[in-house]
Order: sequence, then C-alpha cells, then structure tokens
Amino acid sequence: MTSLTPVSAPVRPRNLTPLWQVLGLLIIVGVWWLITDVLKLWPPYVFPSPKAVWEEFSYGLWGSGPQDGKLLSSVGSSLRRVALGYVIAVALGSAVGLLMSLWRPLRDTLGAYLQGLQSVPSIAFVPFAILFLGLNERAVMFVVIIEGFIPVALAVSGAVLNVPPAWRTAGRTLGASHFSLVTRVLLPAALPNIVTGLRTAWSFAWRALIGAELLTANPGLGRLLEVGRNTSNMALVIATIIIVGVVGGLFDLLIRALETRMRRDYGLEVQV
Amino acid sequence: MTHRTPTILAVLILPMLSLASAQGSTVRIGFFPNLTHAPALVAIEKGYYAAQMKGVKIETKDFVSGTTLSEAFAAGAIDIGLIGPGPAINAAVKGMPVQIIAGASEAGALLVARKGSGITSYKDLAGKKVAVPSLGNTQDISLRAILADAGLKAQTDGGNVTIVPLAPADVAAAFVSKQVDAALVPEPWAALLEGQGNKAVGDEKTVWRNGNYPSALVIVSTKFAQANPEIVKGFLRAHLQAIRFINKSPAAAQTAVSSALFKLTNQKVDARVLQLALKRTRFTANVDIEALKAYSQLNLAAGYSRKAPDFDALVDLTMLNALNASQGQLQATPRTALGLK
Repeated sequence: MTSLTPVSAPVRPRNLTPLWQVLGLLIIVGVWWLITDVLKLWPPYVFPSPKAVWEEFSYGLWGSGPQDGKLLSSVGSSLRRVALGYVIAVALGSAVGLLMSLWRPLRDTLGAYLQGLQSVPSIAFVPFAILFLGLNERAVMFVVIIEGFIPVALAVSGAVLNVPPAWRTAGRTLGASHFSLVTRVLLPAALPNIVTGLRTAWSFAWRALIGAELLTANPGLGRLLEVGRNTSNMALVIATIIIVGVVGGLFDLLIRALETRMRRDYGLEVQV
Repeated sequence: MTHRTPTILAVLILPMLSLASAQGSTVRIGFFPNLTHAPALVAIEKGYYAAQMKGVKIETKDFVSGTTLSEAFAAGAIDIGLIGPGPAINAAVKGMPVQIIAGASEAGALLVARKGSGITSYKDLAGKKVAVPSLGNTQDISLRAILADAGLKAQTDGGNVTIVPLAPADVAAAFVSKQVDAALVPEPWAALLEGQGNKAVGDEKTVWRNGNYPSALVIVSTKFAQANPEIVKGFLRAHLQAIRFINKSPAAAQTAVSSALFKLTNQKVDARVLQLALKRTRFTANVDIEALKAYSQLNLAAGYSRKAPDFDALVDLTMLNALNASQGQLQATPRTALGLK
C-alpha cells in the first residue's frame, strides 16, 4: 500500500544515492581485487581477478580473435529474443488477465493454476520446450513467453479487480456500456498496478531467457556462459553474469521510471 | 548476525580445504562412459586399479563431458582422469595444475548423418544442425576443422551451420524428432546411431589427420602427482595393462566394456555395435605431441583459448617411458596371473 503520510520537510535533501552507489561499487571491486590478486585466496581458474574479467570485456568489445567482438552481438540477439517474447507475453497476458478479471469461472480455474505455475522455475520448462518445439529459437521463446505471460495475466486481473467498486457504479450510472466501462474506466484505473506487473514480467522473462539460452546454446548471452564454462574460462563466465545483471537492471530502471511517473500522475506516489 | 559467521567461514574455507585434500592414500579417478575411455572401463571392470595400487582407496567417478570433469578437477575433486585434449588444453591455459602423463585412445569419433537428412558429404552440412557433445570439446573442435576444410562456417562465426551441444546419449532421440541433422560423436555412440539406420559420413579417418589424433588422454593433478608418485605409477601400470588387454583380446575387452557400460549407463550396447566401435578406436598410451599441438592450433582458431599451453610443462611422459622400459617384466607376467584366460 502506498503511504499517504504528509511530507513535512519542504526542502528536498540533496540526492546522495548515486554517490553511495559509486562508492559501493568501488568497495566491491576493491575487496574482489584484494581477495584475488593480493591475498590469492582462490586459484584464478576458480575465482579470477577483476583484471581478468575486464580483459574478457575488452575481448568481447574490441577483440579481434575468432570468438571476440561478440559481446554486443550477443547482447543484441538476447535482447531481440526477449523483446519479441516480452511483447507477445504482454499481449497474451493482458488479454487473458482481462478476461479473468471479468469472468469469475475463468479466474477461479485458470487464475488459480497460473498462481501455481508461477512458482515453477523457468528452467523447469526448458526440457519440455525442447522436446515439444525442438532445439531452436522457438523453444527459448516459449519459455520466455510463458514466464512473462503469467505475471502479466495475474497483474492485469488483480489490478482490474482492485478498481474501487464505486468507480464501476459511477461509470454505469453515467451511462457507460459494458465495453466502454472496461476501456474507459477499469483499464485506465488499473494501469499503475498493471505497469508494476509488467516490470515483474520483464525480470521474469529476462531470467527465463538466459536460462533457456544456456541450455540450448542459441547465440546470445546464455551461450557465452556455456562457452565460458566449457573452456574453463571463469573470467568469461563472470563477465557474462555482470552483463546479464547490468542489461537486466537497466531495463528494469527504464520500466521503473515509467512506473513511478505513472503512479505520480495517478497521485499514488508522493514525491519526497 | 553472529550465527551466520560459521557459514561464511565455511564458504570461504571449504574450497581451499578441498584443494588441500588432494593428498593421502585415496585416489579419485574420473572418466566418461564412452568407448574412447575403454582403458578406464576395462581397468575398473577387471580390478586392475585395485591390483596395481594396493592399500590405496580408489574412488571412480564417471562424467558426462570434459566440461564437468574439468570443473571437478578445478574444485579439487578428481586426482587423475581420462579426458579429451580440448578440456585438457583449456584447463592448462587457464593455469589449472594439470599434466598429461599418458595417452588413452585415438580416433574413435564419427560424423553420423540422420537418415533422410540428405547429407552424404561434409559439404552437405551447409545450412544444417550438427550436434557435438559440448561446445569447445574435442568433437566440437574437430567439427570446426571439418567445416573449415569444406569451406563452411559455424552460425556463430557468420556461417550457416548450427552447432548444437547435445549429450551423445540424447542424439538418437534428437534424430527421431529431426531436431538435429547430424552429430559428431565418440564411440560407441556413432556405431549405435549407425545401427539405427543413420549413415556415417566418411569414417573416423576423415574426421581429422587421417585418424591420427588423440581422443582421450590421462591427466593428473600436478599437486597430487608430486605428493603421491607411487599411486600415479600404480595407476599408469593399471592403465597400460588395460590397453594391452584391449589390444590383445578384443573380444574379452568387448565383454568387459559392455559390462562396465551397462553398470554405468544401464544401457545394454549390442555386441556388434561395440565390435564396430572398438575397431574404429585405437588404444595407445603414447601421446602424439604433434597432434596435440595441431589440436591446440585448431582450438586457437576456434577462439576457445587465446594462447597455446606450454607443451613442455603440460606433457610429462617420464613416468610412462620408465614403465615402458620395464615393460618386458610386466609382459612376462603369466596371463592367468592377471585373471585372463
């Protein structure tokens, strides 16, 4: 629930968050360097130093070896795949979620199953997807779509159901047809919560993508992880994990910004 | 918060302990349930390891691929292992304390095309999906060499051949559902797939270097070898004994391998399949260093490593040569004393 406590401080304190974040990053890299390069707690093939990981980044970005310079294209293929899967998941999830919110029998059956399915880790769908669709892009897409679809459907259904009943009554009293009640009252009112669901769906889809790529070795970040593993290149594995985190995090920030802005426009967020 | 400290300490200390525990009178042997690893299968089945390393606790562990064995090696969970040249070279390049002390097998891998795939030559692989046991493994590198010779390229290198990592045991199912069009697999999987009506493209000699390339090698943890030279010597004696047995009595070796494979994979491999597979694999303890160097060049060309290992440090055959010199004595052992008919 959003807090509606009035804010007393009229002067906005200076935002120190970015500073702390940079400082935190420096400390992490410092400790990492200390335990690998200085104390040498682990051999480099088990836990490589920041330098070795940075080298993998540089190979991936501007290296000229046979497997080099593939970082951006790997990020590109992964993003292209997840973007398509996400759009399909959002479209499907919105439609099913809306139907669930409007029709109780569907909500009580499908809705309940989706809640259960949501607890199944995405990686569990991969063997099924491979056997059903083959060792190809479609298997990866299937896993991404199913992982993105469930949170969207549940969020849309939940958000529409949470619209205050008075608004429906008001809409009806003012003469809205069933259709326009949905399109002009319920959906706009539910939008902020839907966007929250879209953000959850994004992180689910992204995680599902990497897991599925890892197992099917389609070109992409998952494949980089697999190659790193197979060639005892732990630095490449760590570099790829960092990219997965950064790309996933950046998109999450983007959607979060949209979400915050929308919630503010709807008067749900109080600017501190 | 204090209750977490032991956990954190354990997480920090355990890996170091496991590295340190690679000493003592226990030897942990890793291998794959493939025919290219037959010396290990036979040595286990015939009790050679136990006979040649008396008073040593022997733990054997089978792995699916060089990747998992290499990981176990890095974690200090394996002391001696049979592994393909690819993972051995990559491990050495990454600074793992590993040394190649003997060979185990050569050739013994074939490219098999799914029936109905229309592939009859390596050139036909254009636009097809080809399975290899895992990315960066021996067969993956061999496949890249085949593709380069045929003027083709992997999809990830801008070509149109899709290389799919797939456990050899899963290839048959993938063929039935037409998920892959061909597979470069070690024996007995190639012979097994052929037995199911799929066609071999070329033979084990057309894969690379006229069949003169290592498929499995014996690697040892250098730390373990320094601390336990007698155990390593005992292992090598058992290894040589197994190779001699395979070469001298192929039929009996086939029975031993079949029995070992059944215990490990619960799969009964047809005798004719095994016979064919054995015929296409060469078992030798010698290490063709030129082939290893050529393999390393292929590995570099595929981009799986950025430098070649120092072969002088990586390959140490002094123990093997010493044993080979005294081989006359071993050979003189009556065959019945070894439990052979």
